[in-house]
Amino acid sequence: MYSDYAYLIVALPVLAFVLTIFLGWHLPKGGGFFTVLATFAGFILSFGILREIYPTNIIVHQSTHWFANFNVGILIDPLAIVMLLMVTFVCTMIHTYALGYMEGDPGLARYFAEAGLFTAAMLGLVYSDNLLQLFIFWELVGLCSYLLIGFWYRKPSAASAAKKAFLVTRVGDVMFLAGIVILYTNMMRIGLPEGTYVLQFQTIYDNLVNIPPDQLTWIALLLFGGAVGKSGQFPLHVWLPDAMEGPTTVSAMIHAATMVTAGVYLVARMFPLFYAAPHALTVVALIGAFTALFAATMGLVMFDIKRVLAYSTVSQLGYMMAALGVGAAVGAGAVGVGMFHLIGHSFFKALLFLCAGSVIHAVGTNDMREMGGVLKSMKWTSLTMLAGSLTLVGFPLTTGFFSKDEIIVTAFEYGTLGNGWLPYIFVIVAALLTAIYSFRLWFLTFDGTPRSDYHKHESPWVMLGPLVILALFALFMGVGLNTGQDENPFYTYVGNNFDHYGVDFEELAVVGGHQVVHEAEAHGETGESHGIFLTIIHLLPILFGVGGILIAALFYSRWKRFDSSMITTERDPLRHLLLKRYYQNEIYTLWFAEKVVYGISLLANMIDLKIVDGTVNKISELLVGFGGSVRKLQTGVIQNYITAIVLGLAVLLILIQLATLEVAI
Amino acid sequence: MVPLVLYVLLASAMFTIGLYGLLTQRNGIKLMMCVEILLNSANINLVAFSSYLPNQNGQVFALFSIALAAAEAGVGFAILITLYRLYGTIELDNINSLRW
Repeated sequence: MYSDYAYLIVALPVLAFVLTIFLGWHLPKGGGFFTVLATFAGFILSFGILREIYPTNIIVHQSTHWFANFNVGILIDPLAIVMLLMVTFVCTMIHTYALGYMEGDPGLARYFAEAGLFTAAMLGLVYSDNLLQLFIFWELVGLCSYLLIGFWYRKPSAASAAKKAFLVTRVGDVMFLAGIVILYTNMMRIGLPEGTYVLQFQTIYDNLVNIPPDQLTWIALLLFGGAVGKSGQFPLHVWLPDAMEGPTTVSAMIHAATMVTAGVYLVARMFPLFYAAPHALTVVALIGAFTALFAATMGLVMFDIKRVLAYSTVSQLGYMMAALGVGAAVGAGAVGVGMFHLIGHSFFKALLFLCAGSVIHAVGTNDMREMGGVLKSMKWTSLTMLAGSLTLVGFPLTTGFFSKDEIIVTAFEYGTLGNGWLPYIFVIVAALLTAIYSFRLWFLTFDGTPRSDYHKHESPWVMLGPLVILALFALFMGVGLNTGQDENPFYTYVGNNFDHYGVDFEELAVVGGHQVVHEAEAHGETGESHGIFLTIIHLLPILFGVGGILIAALFYSRWKRFDSSMITTERDPLRHLLLKRYYQNEIYTLWFAEKVVYGISLLANMIDLKIVDGTVNKISELLVGFGGSVRKLQTGVIQNYITAIVLGLAVLLILIQLATLEVAI
Repeated sequence: MVPLVLYVLLASAMFTIGLYGLLTQRNGIKLMMCVEILLNSANINLVAFSSYLPNQNGQVFALFSIALAAAEAGVGFAILITLYRLYGTIELDNINSLRW
């Protein structure tokens, strides 16, 4: 019954967008309650749909013809429903919080309108049933992120951050589009029956084995390029920390629910394709794991509270990508693992950002060096932030513990199967760094004594309510799902997503040349020999997590034993490298943008002016010159024309006369 | 009955006069008058042939033609008046601001 109204999940936020943008100016709170209600209604609908499709294990698919061999449709399978629930729920929390946080901003109506559209775009992306529709919503998400990052457009840094986000993700989007085009060409070459919707996911899954493997690799890599841009993976992660220029709620939305998860979702959605493409999954695993480590190192030295969180997002997204990438070793189950981390991350990252927003709201600065001792004045915010940080670190029994542990263990299995140990090493070191930077943030902000004279007051309950709810989810969702003796139902439900389409992973593994764990065990290649070893592997992330917290406590808390100056000095090149963020600014902006791209632009400009424009101008000059000389014929004196006519007529008459004479003769 | 050839001669004489006027005159009103002469020479032909045939069509066309000539004269003089207001002259040689 609920699934008949699935279209409302997107339609309601769009309606809220229209209402707030036109009427918001006249309503209290900028009409923000429209957006909140529409998103919440989406959550109710999604929950109703889950209740319908989960017990019977079915999927919802509605489709209608669009044009040529394209359709528009709604597809709600396990993968989509968990995303729908997460996006609607987290967005409801964020919008509610924004009612308090954005209070008094002159652009309030614009904020809620754009936030509603943002939510709608993400929801539309999630339940698209074909790649083209997904791409359209994908672009819409990009547009909304641009609008919201540049929400305070009078601030030059915000305007430039918005531009940067738009342009950098555009690089990925172009690759994504190229991937779709190549995929489409290959699908057309197969010779599908008339009337098949070519880019529908079902069609793509069915025909993966018919596409040549080298083409599959290109398609997968290009689609991954799109995901790299959207999900802020190395080397296109540079826009994400700058996106902090928007309001904190926007950061929360982008980082948790509505934007960066789209890239991971795309890879999860197209997982059979990646799985069948040789080498593509390796690239996903390496890029993901490298990003996890790379971003974590930068998180260590930042002083802007939101920037630390931003790098932590980049790092956690790396984890998700790595989880999907190391799926080469475990098959479809990787989707469950990656998605579980995605959902858990959405809760705690939204929580962390909203807490940071709450602190910034009260303290009035982003700089952690000016905070300290906030715990005394903001109990609730501090405690919820602690909950978020513990989850981020993967403290035992929090949600992050279950999700991150699983990723690290999968990465280990990936290594044992001879696929390379780099992903495992990267993610395990990143786990240690995550613990250090998140508790460095917590201790610097909340512990100790105030380092500047800031306002001490707790935020209103419209802001704290969402924090508490999100904190509960962040802490207990993992335990709730892992109570039974069986495997986590999330993994089985989402991991078996592709069974609904009849995707045969063993066949695809042959195409992609992968060796799957249980298969390897059957061959006795891994064996049971490492029983105690495996326990250590499982315990290692916990040790690293707790160890990281202790290290952070020793350096930054009230029980401080060491000072950072003891291990590093002002002139330490490594510290300099991190503070300079690996010279990204120098490489991307100063070298790449201002030297390489600017040089190319100058050349292109010259070619355009001299050759392209030059040709056109020469042709038109010739024509104008010719016309100028010919137009003197047109004297504009009527008598001249009449004379010409009469003369012509006379000549004509004489000729006719002569002709008739000849005939007569 | 007057022989047809006289009518035709009269008409061609009028046509020649009108044409000569058109070619030589520069004054707007004179040109309008020449055009009227041209039209009327045609009308004479129409009526003459019509009564000799005998067929009424020619006379009907002559009436049409007179009505059209009246309309044309109305529009033409209106244009000339406007031109006079704009330029203070109706010597067409002096009205050449749209010329190259």
